[in-house]
Amino acid sequence: MADLSVRIGEVALKNPVIAASGTFGFGAEYAPIFDPGLLGGICSKGITREPREGNPPPRLWETPCGLLNSIGLENPGIEAFVREVLPRMLELGTVVIVNIWGREPEEYAYMAERLDMTEAHVIELNLSCPNVPGAGLPGANPEKVAAIVAAARAACGKPLWAKLPPEGDLIGAARAAAEAGASAVTVANTFRGMAIDIRSHRPVFANVIGGLSGPAIKPLVLRAVYEVAKEVGIPVIGCGGIVGWEDAVEFIMAGAHAVQIGTGSFIDPLCIPKVIAGLGAFLEREGIGSLEEVRGCAH
Amino acid sequence: MANREIAPGIFLLGVRGKFAASPGQFYMLRAWELDPPLFRPMSVFALEEEAISFLYEVRGRGTGILSRLSPGEELLLLGPLGRGWDPPARPLALVAGGTGIAPIHFAAQIYGGDAFLGFRGKPYLVESFADWCRAVHVASETGEGGTKGLVTEIFRPEGYRTCFACGPEGMLRELYRLCSEAGVPLFVSVEERMACGLGACLGCAILTSRGPRRVCADGPVFPAEELWGDG
Repeated sequence: MADLSVRIGEVALKNPVIAASGTFGFGAEYAPIFDPGLLGGICSKGITREPREGNPPPRLWETPCGLLNSIGLENPGIEAFVREVLPRMLELGTVVIVNIWGREPEEYAYMAERLDMTEAHVIELNLSCPNVPGAGLPGANPEKVAAIVAAARAACGKPLWAKLPPEGDLIGAARAAAEAGASAVTVANTFRGMAIDIRSHRPVFANVIGGLSGPAIKPLVLRAVYEVAKEVGIPVIGCGGIVGWEDAVEFIMAGAHAVQIGTGSFIDPLCIPKVIAGLGAFLEREGIGSLEEVRGCAH
Repeated sequence: MANREIAPGIFLLGVRGKFAASPGQFYMLRAWELDPPLFRPMSVFALEEEAISFLYEVRGRGTGILSRLSPGEELLLLGPLGRGWDPPARPLALVAGGTGIAPIHFAAQIYGGDAFLGFRGKPYLVESFADWCRAVHVASETGEGGTKGLVTEIFRPEGYRTCFACGPEGMLRELYRLCSEAGVPLFVSVEERMACGLGACLGCAILTSRGPRRVCADGPVFPAEELWGDG
């Protein structure tokens, strides 16, 4: 079996395939399908300081090869998460990445400090959720990214990954995240999109805008990963439309250290184990010793 | 695998093989590659020793593809999923509207009871309820094949100790009004768009008196008072 292990800053992953935030619950939900211990890592659902009920239905809308969602960060809040959920995630046998979202740098700092007292391996700063009513989109703005990453950096010693939106000044935001102390950037979150119900004459989502994911966005995100990997000196984690192992190879050749899979698991619940197996088989077939040999080779 | 159009746009899909399910549970179905991205969740209509069947209305691309499947073509099934109806206190009333008869039929198969079925036009599959139910009452909006009117106009909850139902939200809400007046516990199966079907993505969550609940994992069957009660 080929060596698929990767290092992202301080963290070693057994393979470069991570379950994306909000698509894999807290891990146990997929246990009847496959062992979550196979994963390179698992990102938790986005956690906020206080519990959130999320948005009213409908929360999902299909588009050609894509999926719009408007979940709205439904989660139990940081305190219940740390006490009731995190201990079980830490037993899954994979790297646990806790995804957090706040309105202000102080909220990120509060949660980062709380998580610093736990065994969580990584904190992923969600700088890009499109689905909170009235919250705007902080991630596209390098100054806001710098302020949030710096606040979290000062509050904890854990590795920080900055999950950025695909829109706005992405290169500037990625540079700002690196300078403020992030060990990696996740490129990217969903694209802001919408759909209109032509019978009711209204947007399908109560919050009007949803986040577009799935194979429809893959070429767009691949381009973004390619550019960020070229311009910014910290590891890039590619996330957007990956379904098959070939997609994952493309992201690695574009310069990604790892990939996250979200909507792919909805298309095929065995998507993640198939991508891991497919990557291993690819390296062996091509006589490639490690992912490092092909990482960024498309540049 | 066999597909049969039992009314205009309404199909009964039967699959041979050993399957498991309890009443009210569902499977996720898929017979295509990337597009549409999601599986289609479907309640079990009937379960036999060597077969399972699903009843559905063609509404979009996914159900369109399913309706055109021929024997020998590939169909993926993920399940059984969700929490269905627990064994009821009897006598049991089963109330359904349109394709909502699917999970109610499976409940009839396991628990028996009296069936009250409502249809927009010509009724379908009524005869298969007669195999499992003590009595079968039918209503249709056109008056074809039953009493003219809505199922909520032919159903009286008095005398029943439990009511199971599935159908359009308007029907279920009216049923909840009737059942709460009569003090009969009502358990309804509801529908929502789903992505994972496993309780992970929260895409199908609805707001209830107990907070957000996942239709795929906490449901699809809920006590009606959790959905529409005063809290």
